[in-house]
Amino acid sequence: MGKVNIEIDGKQLTADVGSMIIEVADEADIYIPRFCYHKKLSVAANCRMCMVDVSSLPKAVPACATPVADGMVIQTQSDRAIDAQKSVMEFLLINHPLDCPVCDQGGECELQDLSVGYGEDVSRYVEGKRVVKDKNLGPLISTDMTRCIHCTRCVRFGQEVVGIRELGATGRGEHIEIGTYIESTMDSEVSANIIDLCPVGALTAKPSRYKARAWELRESPSIAPHDCLGSNVNIHHRRGEIIRVVPRENESINEVWLSDRDRFSYQALTEGKRLLKPKIKKNGTWQETDWQTALNFAVAEMKRIIGVSKGEEFGTIVGNNSTLEESFLIQKLIRGTGCNNIDFRTRRRDFSKDQYSGVRAGFNFPLQDLDTMDATLLIAGDIRHEQPLAALRVRKSTGFGRAMAINPFDGEYNFRLYQEIQPEPHLLAQEFACVLAAAAQKQPDKINAEIKDWIEGITFTEQHAIIVDELINGEQSCILMGVYVQEHPQAEVVNWIAEQVARLTDSKWGYMTQGCNAAGNKMAGAVPNQSEFGGRATPGKNAKQMLTEGLKGYLIHNCEPDVESLWADQALANLQNAECVIALTSYEDGRVSDYSTVMLPIAGSYETSGTYVNVEGRWQSFSAAVPAPGESRPAWKVLRVLGNLLDTSGFDYESSVQIRDELKEKQENSRDKKESRKTPPELHAASEEETKRDSLGLYMVDPMVRRANALQQTSKASTHPISISRVTT
Amino acid sequence: MKKFKQFVNSFLLVELLKGLMVTGRHMFSPKVTIQYPEEKTPQSPRFRGIHALRSYPNGEERCIACKLCEAVCPAAAITIDAGVRESDGSRRTTKYEIDLFKCIFCGFCEESCPVDSIVETRVFEYHFEEQGAQILTKEKLLEIGLIHEEQLAQDIEADAKYR
Ligand code: SF4
Ligand code: SF4
Ligand code: SF4
Ligand code: FES
Repeated sequence: MGKVNIEIDGKQLTADVGSMIIEVADEADIYIPRFCYHKKLSVAANCRMCMVDVSSLPKAVPACATPVADGMVIQTQSDRAIDAQKSVMEFLLINHPLDCPVCDQGGECELQDLSVGYGEDVSRYVEGKRVVKDKNLGPLISTDMTRCIHCTRCVRFGQEVVGIRELGATGRGEHIEIGTYIESTMDSEVSANIIDLCPVGALTAKPSRYKARAWELRESPSIAPHDCLGSNVNIHHRRGEIIRVVPRENESINEVWLSDRDRFSYQALTEGKRLLKPKIKKNGTWQETDWQTALNFAVAEMKRIIGVSKGEEFGTIVGNNSTLEESFLIQKLIRGTGCNNIDFRTRRRDFSKDQYSGVRAGFNFPLQDLDTMDATLLIAGDIRHEQPLAALRVRKSTGFGRAMAINPFDGEYNFRLYQEIQPEPHLLAQEFACVLAAAAQKQPDKINAEIKDWIEGITFTEQHAIIVDELINGEQSCILMGVYVQEHPQAEVVNWIAEQVARLTDSKWGYMTQGCNAAGNKMAGAVPNQSEFGGRATPGKNAKQMLTEGLKGYLIHNCEPDVESLWADQALANLQNAECVIALTSYEDGRVSDYSTVMLPIAGSYETSGTYVNVEGRWQSFSAAVPAPGESRPAWKVLRVLGNLLDTSGFDYESSVQIRDELKEKQENSRDKKESRKTPPELHAASEEETKRDSLGLYMVDPMVRRANALQQTSKASTHPISISRVTT
Repeated sequence: MKKFKQFVNSFLLVELLKGLMVTGRHMFSPKVTIQYPEEKTPQSPRFRGIHALRSYPNGEERCIACKLCEAVCPAAAITIDAGVRESDGSRRTTKYEIDLFKCIFCGFCEESCPVDSIVETRVFEYHFEEQGAQILTKEKLLEIGLIHEEQLAQDIEADAKYR
């Protein structure tokens, strides 16, 4: 790209040809006031606040819509520029209410700031101001439309970034209004981003409405705990209470966005029914007790059950959102007592590859590259609801590239699909195998004897061939597997096919996983066949066996198998029938108080320090933003004490950082184990019963989200689109 | 010459008489000592005594929970929690507390208030009998406001043209 030399406020700068003045100025840290310009949205140039003075032009011009030209001399502070900006400000304030004291944006409002800089202190306008009726946009976003300055950022966000046009502008001039045309709520899974985008107080967060001012909030960086991307967030809190969660910019993960789930789940921590003291159930009634008694009780029960059954009758279920440190400690603890039943995969049916140890990340390419894929093949992915922000990236790529899907279920996509195949759920692997067959035919010199044997007799259609063509021809292409794939009884077959197709077509592959720390849990060894980093371990029972066979005792950590697991009903019955269930939980409502025998209060997300490993294998550590309420303690501390009480060695950690460092070291020392199979997995027919999808739904994925009130009131909470298959037999 | 003048002055006790003159003048000038508490000094309408939260004549509290007083208070004496009022969805405080032990009676809170809600009354005689009573709660503040409303309205009126 060519370069031009320009001068802004006396600073000599070089800029790319075609870039706008405002971009160059931003880069050089020269501030130009603006309302409608946003770096992630198209240029609308309708607010006119960004007027600057270009010496070669007779009038001030908008900096966001004026491309740079060689030799331009630009002044942002000259009389002409300031004059233009002042008049724009006066116009903007004509219809703006004098509302700042009751406005939730007060203190962090771009209009407020700029009116201090460019506004007159006395208004020349005496006529009546216009009033706009507020719209009801649902339980997440509250509106004060009289304050809207019609920058249309919110409209452009829906149109360009999400691909769902929920808001629009109707009317012209004085009568312009932002709204939903017909009365309806905002239902997209990333809708609340318009709160951040709106430069004024027209769109604000409903759950934190009127709660606090920007200036009294403290900001702590953290990682969102609900999907495998690990979006970066800032926790805004005051006096130890979380007030809101906002995105923290990270171009390689969440850009500047945040899904509604990550943004509003904090409500569970502040408004959920928290367990504040350890409790023991005696004769059917709960009794509060102190930590010492509760821990001793738990340890005695564990020793008894593990001792009598030689570890056979005790099981440990780890929640999806446990941190790396917690998972590591809990597996170390349980293996130290001579019990090997531990698993976090409560939503997996295929354990056929368990005996091959090894750990690796779900993606073999950076997440960011999803933006630039020429071809993306989605396998059984409800990406919009599973990883809402990844869907935005795939959508970005469909601007020039093509997205295709093999999905047994009715998908809701916010991008156009070039090809869509809808097999029956139990024939997913068979359908995908046809793609492999097509790929093998197109790339005969890349296949080996094994694949040749494997695809023997598999026929493919025109459509499969087109998909393969796209994958081959795309300069960058990838195969993305949705969360459902890992729930499928033939998960390993699908995974294997994906990798073979990727190899043959020179594409990338990526597996999306349930929860935010699936990769970390596996690395930490919270699986029955391997300890940390693929270390050798005596095989134990997996989650399915533990939950369906029924054991005498359970230790459940940050997880509700009676809701989350694929065998919810059986899990509930077995937990109820168990002699002892030790629950490490942050909440005391729900059925956990029904079936557990002792409840130990642990800190929730944002209240504990730890590390999440995201789907790319990126380690993201965070420290506690707020203290845990009552007597609840960070889980790693509880596990450390439990470890010591159980007489297992090596539990003398003083901080979670120490645990992380030890793990990091272990990772570096672990041999890079190849996770390849000796023989390809067999393609056998799966039963229809086994492939039913009991989707958890967008707002049911973990104990925290399930208790976030505002999210539960949204329409997305009750109707989940992907739970039924369109195919009828 | 100088010495002679000095001698005459001291001989005639001029310095002493001068001093006595001052005493004499003060003996007959009007007295300023106030016999508190029987007598009281006059107060300015801007007097900064104990705080009050004012209400509108219809009983509606004025405060809109903008939190400016909390922000401006140099002694961090004010603590406010706010939220949506159930009945009409308006912005209201759920907690408004002033710690009088921290307060330095600077009057900034009064000046910052956009709706003349938090004000300082002319009352400066009060005491606390219990630990903790120095924290004026929202209820107490509103009550003080009701008691002194007439005076407060007058004072604000009197000061209005200077603001
Ligand atoms: S949007 Fe900004 S300028 Fe308008 S009332 Fe709210 S804080 Fe004030
Ligand atoms: S509601 Fe906010 S973001 Fe949307 S057009 Fe109005 S001012 Fe802009
Ligand atoms: S008078 Fe001054 S110190 Fe006292 S509460 Fe008001 S602002 Fe704070
Ligand atoms: S920012 Fe340039 S016109 Fe709005």
